[in-house]
Amino acid sequence: MLDGHLLLGWLSFTVIVYLLNLPGPTTAYFGLTGNEPLSILPLNSLPEENVGRAHYKLCDRLKLEKKQRRMCRRDPGVAETLREAITMSALECQYQFRFERWNCTLEGRHRANILKRGFKETAFLYAISSAGLTHAMAKACSAGRMERCTCDEAPDLENRKAWQWGGCGDNLKYANKFVKDFLGKRSNKDLRARVDMHNTNVGMKVIKAGVETTCKCHGVSGSCTVQTCWRQLLPFHEIGKQLKQRYETSVKVGSSTNEATGEGEISTGRNQQLPPQQPPPQPLPGLNDQIPRTMDLLHIEDSPSFCRSSKYSSGTAARKCYKDKNCDAICCGRGHNTQSREVTRPCQCQVRWCCYVECKQCTQREEVYTCKG
Amino acid sequence: MAGAIIENMSTKKLVIVGVILLLFQAFAFMVGGLIAPSPTTAVHYLATKCVDITKHRVGTKWFMPWGPNQCDKIQSFDEAMAKKVEANNIVFAVHIPLPNKEMSPWFQFMLVILQFDIAFKMYNQIDEGAMAMIDVGLAYRDDTVSEWTEMAHSFEQRKLNCNFTTSKTFENEGRYYECDLLPFMEVGSVAHKYYLLNIRLPVNERKKINVGIGEIKDIRLVSIHQNGGFTKVWFAMKTFLTPSILIIMIWYWRRITLMSRPPVLLEKVILALGISMTFINIPVEWFSIGFNWTWMLLFGDIRQGIFYSMLLSFWIIFCGEHLMDQTERNRFSVYWKQVGPIVFGSFCLFIFDMCERGVQLTNPFYSIWASDVGTELAMAFIIVAGICACLYFLFLCFMVFQVFRNISGKRTSLPAMSKARRLHYEGLIFRFKFLMLVTLTCAAMTVIFFIISQVNEGHWHWGEHTVQVNSAFFTGIYGMWNLYVFAIMFLYAPSHKRYGDGQSSGQCITGDAGGNSGEDIQLTTTITHVDGPSEIYKMTGKEAQE
Repeated sequence: MLDGHLLLGWLSFTVIVYLLNLPGPTTAYFGLTGNEPLSILPLNSLPEENVGRAHYKLCDRLKLEKKQRRMCRRDPGVAETLREAITMSALECQYQFRFERWNCTLEGRHRANILKRGFKETAFLYAISSAGLTHAMAKACSAGRMERCTCDEAPDLENRKAWQWGGCGDNLKYANKFVKDFLGKRSNKDLRARVDMHNTNVGMKVIKAGVETTCKCHGVSGSCTVQTCWRQLLPFHEIGKQLKQRYETSVKVGSSTNEATGEGEISTGRNQQLPPQQPPPQPLPGLNDQIPRTMDLLHIEDSPSFCRSSKYSSGTAARKCYKDKNCDAICCGRGHNTQSREVTRPCQCQVRWCCYVECKQCTQREEVYTCKG
Repeated sequence: MAGAIIENMSTKKLVIVGVILLLFQAFAFMVGGLIAPSPTTAVHYLATKCVDITKHRVGTKWFMPWGPNQCDKIQSFDEAMAKKVEANNIVFAVHIPLPNKEMSPWFQFMLVILQFDIAFKMYNQIDEGAMAMIDVGLAYRDDTVSEWTEMAHSFEQRKLNCNFTTSKTFENEGRYYECDLLPFMEVGSVAHKYYLLNIRLPVNERKKINVGIGEIKDIRLVSIHQNGGFTKVWFAMKTFLTPSILIIMIWYWRRITLMSRPPVLLEKVILALGISMTFINIPVEWFSIGFNWTWMLLFGDIRQGIFYSMLLSFWIIFCGEHLMDQTERNRFSVYWKQVGPIVFGSFCLFIFDMCERGVQLTNPFYSIWASDVGTELAMAFIIVAGICACLYFLFLCFMVFQVFRNISGKRTSLPAMSKARRLHYEGLIFRFKFLMLVTLTCAAMTVIFFIISQVNEGHWHWGEHTVQVNSAFFTGIYGMWNLYVFAIMFLYAPSHKRYGDGQSSGQCITGDAGGNSGEDIQLTTTITHVDGPSEIYKMTGKEAQE
């Protein structure tokens, strides 16, 4: 397995980092936006098999709100799914930002500090968390990991009847409902809380918009007189890519940090050119408490540069970069060090579909570029 | 066939009949739209990756994805790689249905579609024309504790038709190919409560099996089955329609046998249409609830095929018998040119169906589309059937055109004719135009509703009610063609108005029936069988009444 895989492996390693547990004003969300340390993530390890209430432990470790904990405990599958959602969104976030100055470091106080503000990065974190949760939930449903999935509205006997009479709703619908319940709908006067809520919803909506309808004909002799359609989720990579695009075209709302003045001066700023198919930026209403109903991510304040070590990131010093590609941008004009070294790597690999790779070992000279401090 | 009920009926009565039929039609739509759920349900399954740790396999071991006795799972293949698990020891397990549900015979059939999630890797791309070799087993049980019983086991090949939409660079590694859906399994009856699928992808490098199929990340299945509620509504409808069509059929045939002449071709064809409709209607599906009859799906196809070919033949013969070009027809052999394509086309489809669903009776995983030869063969059958259909419609259109040409020809000469002759032709024209109108309406309705049901998302919200458009389409169209056959048998049955008070035709005839007896004889000689002797009976009857 080559570069991509190594990268992912490295990423997954970085996720297993203990984070500080800082309470913030709009925390108590979930996943990358929750205030729990992402310490529950020994990736790839199975939970102890359904021995009684093992999942209770996991639910407790997730540091959930009261309602969330109740939902988590209701079904052994939920806890595992929640954990998978966090992993998925964390990996995707780091994958999408691997060439950026802010490389989605989730460690320690940096993440907590970002969550306390209203940057574009904050918006992305909220969106990818909810998207990851929706995706993971739908997937868990179809894997049979959840005891209650679709058809769960009524008591048990009626469920069975409902299923036999007319089937159940699809798992996407269920996942959406679950996530909406789970993340809660809070009416909040605070602009930032509402922006966070909006961004969370954007995550879910992107999943919803990315649904593809596939149909199968099965009428007489396989003709299309009878056809059945179902909705299918996009791979999470695609979702991540779309959210990254939305991150880049994020819309600024609200008066900048100074809410006390109450002037309602709203600046609409887009940091980048929109893709042509997107609707033009809507004129934002003149009131602070109005949030535009768009699919755009919203942010309140401009992001820091992430160049130097700060509250929000450890800076880009010593970051590995790719020459001619992003070294200039990442290193913030400080230039980069070039290090030449010999690496032995597997190459010319013969891969079977699973579990078996036959590689030669090649020794290459390789230049490694890192940002100057 | 003359003096059909439709000609002798007063407009008022005709309207009443029409309204009653329309009411039934609306009822049929409403049953489907308001009572029945959507016709089918698709359920997603994500295969669980189990590890087969047994060294020496004794018999078949079944791997459960969840619940008690679940298998040793791995989350991803990276894990498998670390644990040095071989490909042959990885089993993809899918339990149908999902937890806390059970299947039921009311689901009628179950077909499963296979989808691979294949990630793009620079050094492990999908080869051109790659085939996946699947070792698949299907087992069932009827309670949650007993052992699994094997139902089918097979080695299947499926062609991977995948393309990668973005550029094939290192940057895009990990993104998924877009692959075509693969037909996977089809069972014609759902007699058991729980089904278990165990799929393996064995690798054999020497034989080049499962080499170059890319990095399969996941296997997803979609199972489709008919909804129990829809089945119930459908059965109810069939059970109701069978006696109605049967009764009108018996009534119709009794009318014909009551006449002193032998039945003409058109009358026989109408009877055949009634029989084929009854054949479809008979709710033999009730047996599928109690018995494990996997051939029901095939049988249903055959029944529908017979009805469609009968309906198409009926249209041709009806047109032919109304050509009014003074040629002697009334024999089935005259229509070989038009009926030939129907028979041949439906025969092709029958062979195709036997190749697909027939073989599936023994091997539910069989698909004719899986192999190249099979695909070509299937395409050949379908294309030939398509050509036959085109040929048929050309013939039909030409015939309809001929009839209309003759009609307009006759129209000009109508005033010059004697009354009886004129009435005869007017009757013919009316009969033809009426059927033409009804048929076109029915066909248009079918097409329109088909399009609506395809375009729509499946259900409309109408106030508090949810209208299931798809179900409404099925029940409505099914009801419509039943009513069509019903109406034809009722309206085109020979009339015995001569006994009663002559209304529309009688009044006209009485005027100068006596003077035209000479021409009447001439009339009957020229178009004997089209009209049949009943025309004479009517004439003579009227004269006698006078």
